[in-house]
Parts: sequence; structure tokens; C-alpha cells
Amino acid sequence: MTRMMVELVNIGKCYGGHYLFRELNALVQPGECLAIIGRNGSGKSTLLKIIAGLVRPSSGTIRVVANGRELQTDQQAAVIGMVSPEVIFYHPLTAMENLQFLLNGRNLEATEQAALHWLKQVGLEKQGNKPVSSYSTGMRQRLKIAVALALESPLILLDEPSSNLDTEGKDIVGQFIANALAAQKTVVIASNERWETEYASHKITLA
Amino acid sequence: MLNGVLALWSAAVLYAVFYIVPPAQGLGYLVRIAFFHIPVAWVSVIAFLISAGCAVQYLRTRNILYDWWGSASALLGLLFCLSATVSGAVFAKLTWGAYWNWDPRQTTVFILLLIYGAYLALRSSIEEQEQRAKIAAVYALLSSLTVPFLIFIIPRFYFSLHPEPVLNSAGKIAMDNSMLYVLLAALAACTALFAKVLTWMVSCKKKRQDQTAAEYEKELRQL
Amino acid sequence: MPAIKSPWRKALWAVLYKEGLCELRTRYALSALAMFALITLSSVSMAIAGTSLTPELAAVLLWIILFFCAMAGLSRVFVQEQETGTIFTLRLYMGAQAVIFGKLLFNIVMLLALTALIIPLFIIFLNVDIRLGFSLSLILFLGDVGIGAAATVTAAMVAKTQGKSALFTVLTFPILLPQFLAVISATAKVLSHTVPGLTELFFMAGYDLVLFIAASILFDYLWYD
Repeated sequence: MTRMMVELVNIGKCYGGHYLFRELNALVQPGECLAIIGRNGSGKSTLLKIIAGLVRPSSGTIRVVANGRELQTDQQAAVIGMVSPEVIFYHPLTAMENLQFLLNGRNLEATEQAALHWLKQVGLEKQGNKPVSSYSTGMRQRLKIAVALALESPLILLDEPSSNLDTEGKDIVGQFIANALAAQKTVVIASNERWETEYASHKITLA
Repeated sequence: MLNGVLALWSAAVLYAVFYIVPPAQGLGYLVRIAFFHIPVAWVSVIAFLISAGCAVQYLRTRNILYDWWGSASALLGLLFCLSATVSGAVFAKLTWGAYWNWDPRQTTVFILLLIYGAYLALRSSIEEQEQRAKIAAVYALLSSLTVPFLIFIIPRFYFSLHPEPVLNSAGKIAMDNSMLYVLLAALAACTALFAKVLTWMVSCKKKRQDQTAAEYEKELRQL
Repeated sequence: MPAIKSPWRKALWAVLYKEGLCELRTRYALSALAMFALITLSSVSMAIAGTSLTPELAAVLLWIILFFCAMAGLSRVFVQEQETGTIFTLRLYMGAQAVIFGKLLFNIVMLLALTALIIPLFIIFLNVDIRLGFSLSLILFLGDVGIGAAATVTAAMVAKTQGKSALFTVLTFPILLPQFLAVISATAKVLSHTVPGLTELFFMAGYDLVLFIAASILFDYLWYD
């Protein structure tokens, strides 16, 4: 069981001459949750992407430490599971095919039984073989959570995870976060929903 | 002071080309075009190498200055390359009767033109500064990789599809010493001019960037 | 229930498989490419109305058609991902090498399939006599690999730009020019019933190899920030 620690040291991001945010500092230990709060356009998603190693910060450094060993930027993406509005599935493929494809990308594969098990946990077991083009936005959101479950990543990044979800969906998200924290995983949530950010022991507020 | 030296040197070169250099065998006074054509062609290749070098440095260090140097060099390189192409074509028409005949050197300069054009078209289609710098740097390197291949393939291709050329490129003309010295002086003048304009372009860009940053800071403080 | 670890080749195969599956289900590029090839070949055949072409002209024509077909269809691998928004998902879950080689192989396979379609039509419409079948196949293979490789890398570059399709051709042509000239010259030889020299074949293979290596190294810079 990998234990991830994430440290932000003076992180700043600048686009075309003006800073989105700067001098952000935080330390998140395994089993802890960091909440990123801010209005739309304040850079919450960008900060999450910086932690994921997808975007280079303009200043400062991110330290992602797995079991005491610091990871390089290109290794960061391999240990995260991300639920974000920007994650879009392949519409011509079914949910099962999408799931298998994304798992293969992380050098993993799953039996059909295992895949069905994860889909069941988010309530999508009956639509597993339908193309994603037929899915509603809420169903797609649930599929993202299923993928995060399948990957069993030690570092979980959530960007507005319960957007487009009904009450049942929101319960699934809550359960997912609680289970992750109980399993000593590290969670970072970017959200303005109070109930989501209540899981957090640290908070960063972006202007 | 340096500007003065450059201006004087260029004036001296021009004087030498028009009044000192004797007419070449077979070409007569037309050889004067070569004193323009060869230096600009030379500089356009140098500019390309500078662009490629800056591309490598940018990808290694991500310092935006390298991107500015590389793109300014490419723009200047394009202008010099165009001048080389046009002057070469005029020379070809006046001496051998045809503007263009895909002579190996003409083909090489044409391809360089294509690469410059493609590079600049790519730059103008990306808005975000760092993205633009990164993608342009990758293209500069990719296109420089193909240049050594061109040097090998063009003579082969040319000879297999076209008859043996009757014409000779200007470089093969035997030169007497006075011509050689003037040519070298012209090369030096052209390179110095290129370096001057390049430095000026980058400093303008830096000034503009500093200005925008200062204006933004002022706005931020007022808020 | 944990997922099982699989070798890295699986990721590459997964990309290739996904491209194939999506293409089969949407037939986005395949139909456009096939029609493009048919239209160009038949227009030329109609225009020359039965006159036979010299081997050089026939070789040039063949490669021009292949090149423009490639320009019409090979940018899809990255441009479509960018336009549908799936490129973020791909970046999140796939490593750079699996992506570039998976897509590169897909483009090469598409181009080879297209070539297999074009050659019979080429023989029929333009009345070309081919006696050195193996040599021609080898040259076509090497040429297609080169076009596929160059086109995939430039597709990755244009995906993030405005004005993608025109720029795609503009960017790819200078890079492909050496290979282009070499394959045309070799094809002209084959159509004149002469076996192409070993140096020419080594040149083409060497060029393809350099492109593969360059694609592998440079794509990392394009893929990661």
C-alpha cells in the first residue's frame, strides 16, 4: 500500500504576464485531505493539474513523495486518480471498453468480472456495454469515479466531483472520499460545496 | 561607435564591389550580384542554425529568452533567404537565360524557404506564449534533422531526373585574390548587419514585455 | 478486486486498438481517404484520356496522390482528440511513448491499407505495367512508413493551433521532402523495369529510422508540459 505525501512550496502560475495565484504552500500527509476553494476562474483546476504533474508551475515546486521516495514530474501522473470535468470519455466506445483502455494506459488490465464490480459500485453495471455517447452527464461522472476506483491510486484528485450528480450520486462520492481517507490515501478536492470540503484537514483559498 | 564601424565597413565593401573588383571571366560585371547573393545566402543558413540551437536551449532550460532569439533569427533568416532566392534567380536569368531550373543549390535554398515559412506560420497560429515556444522549438528541431538528408538526396535526384546541367553555380567560378578578399569582407559585413538587427529585435521584444509587466503591476496595486 | 499488472506493450497495443475501434465505428477518415484517392486517380485518367505516362510522371503522380491522401486523413489521430476533448483523458492516463507509437502505427496501417487500394486502381486507370512487384512493394512500404511517421508528429503539433488542416500540410511537406524525392526516384526506376539500388533503399530505411527516433524524443516535449 503506497503512502503518498504531497507538498506545495511557493507554487505560482502565470499566464501571459499575469499571475493566477502565487506563493501557495501546503503539506498533505497520507489519510489527509486538502481542499482548494475559490470562485470560478480562480485557478482551482489549474492547481490540481499542477499537482497531477500535467501543468508546469511558473514558480515554486511540488513534491510528491511515495513511500519516502520523491517522484519525478513524469512519474506523478502514474500514481494519481483524477475525477475532473475535463476528463471526457471516448464516445464510440462502451463504458467497459473505456475502462479497459484507461487501465491499459497505466499498465494494468482487468477481467470482465472485475470491471463489472467497479461499475456496480457506481450504479452503472447495467449500462456497461452501451456506448458512452448514450450516457447522461451524471452517468459519465459516475464512470469517472469507477475509473478512479479501478486504479486504486494512492493520490486522488477531485475537481467538483459531485457536479451533475443526484442525491444517490452524491452519496457515492461521499462514500468514495471516506473510504479513500480510511485507506490512508491522500485526497485533494477542488470544490465550493461545503459538504465536500468538510472532509478536509487543510484548506487553500484562491482569490 | 559599433554602428559607425559597421556603416563604414559596408560602405567600403560597396565601393570595392563597384569600383575595385575587376569583371569576372565570362560573367563581366554581373559578378557583382554574387557579392550580394553569396553573403545573404550564407547568413540565411547561419540564421537557421541559430534558430535550431535556440530551440534546443529552450527545451532544456525553458527560458523564454531563447525563444525570442530563435524566432527573431527565423524571421530575419526568412528575409535573407528570400533575398538570396531572388538575387540568385536574377543572376541565373542574366547569365544562363532561365530564372529557375532546380539546380541543387537553388533547390536547397528553396527548401530552406519552405522550412522558414512553415515555422513562422506555426508560430503565428498559437496564442499562448509558452505553448508557442515549445511547439515551435520542436518543429525547428524536426526540420533541422531533415537537412542533412537533403544534402545527400538532392544531387542524386536532380541527376536522375534531369540532364546534366550546362550551368555552373557561382561558387565554382575561379576567383582571383581581390575578388576573394572583397567577398570575405562582404560576408563579414552581412553577418555583422544580421547580428545587429537580431540584437535590436530581441531588445525591442524585451522592452515591450517589461512594459506590459510594469503596467499590469501598476493596475494590480491600484485595485 | 485489484487490477492485474500488464507489460508496457499493452499500453501501446491499447492505443492502436482504440484508434482502430473508434475509426471502424465512426469511419471518419477511412471513407474520406478512399474517396479522395478514387477522385484524384480517375480525374487524372480522364484528363490524359488514354495517353501513356512516362515512368517518371507516373511515379510523381502516385506519390502526390498518396501524400495528399495522407494530408487529408492522418491528422485525425490528434486533431480529433483535441476537438472532442479526449486529449486530456489521454494525457492523464497514457504515457507519451505508448501514445506516439500507437498512433504512429495506426497511421502507417491506414496508409498501407490505402496504398493497397490505390495500386490496383493506379494500374487500371493509368495503364501502368509493373514487373518488379517486390521492389515496388518495398518502396511503397518504406515511403508509407516515412509519411506516416512525419505526419503523426506534425499532427501532434497542429492539434493545439488555429487553422489546423492547412497548417498540417505546410508543416509536413518540408520534413518529408527528402523521403519524397527518394521514393519518387526509386519508383520511377521500378516503373522503368530497373531494380533500385541498395543505397537508395538504405537511404529510405535510414530516413524512416531517424524519423522514428526523432518522433520518440521530440514527442515527450510535446506531450508533457
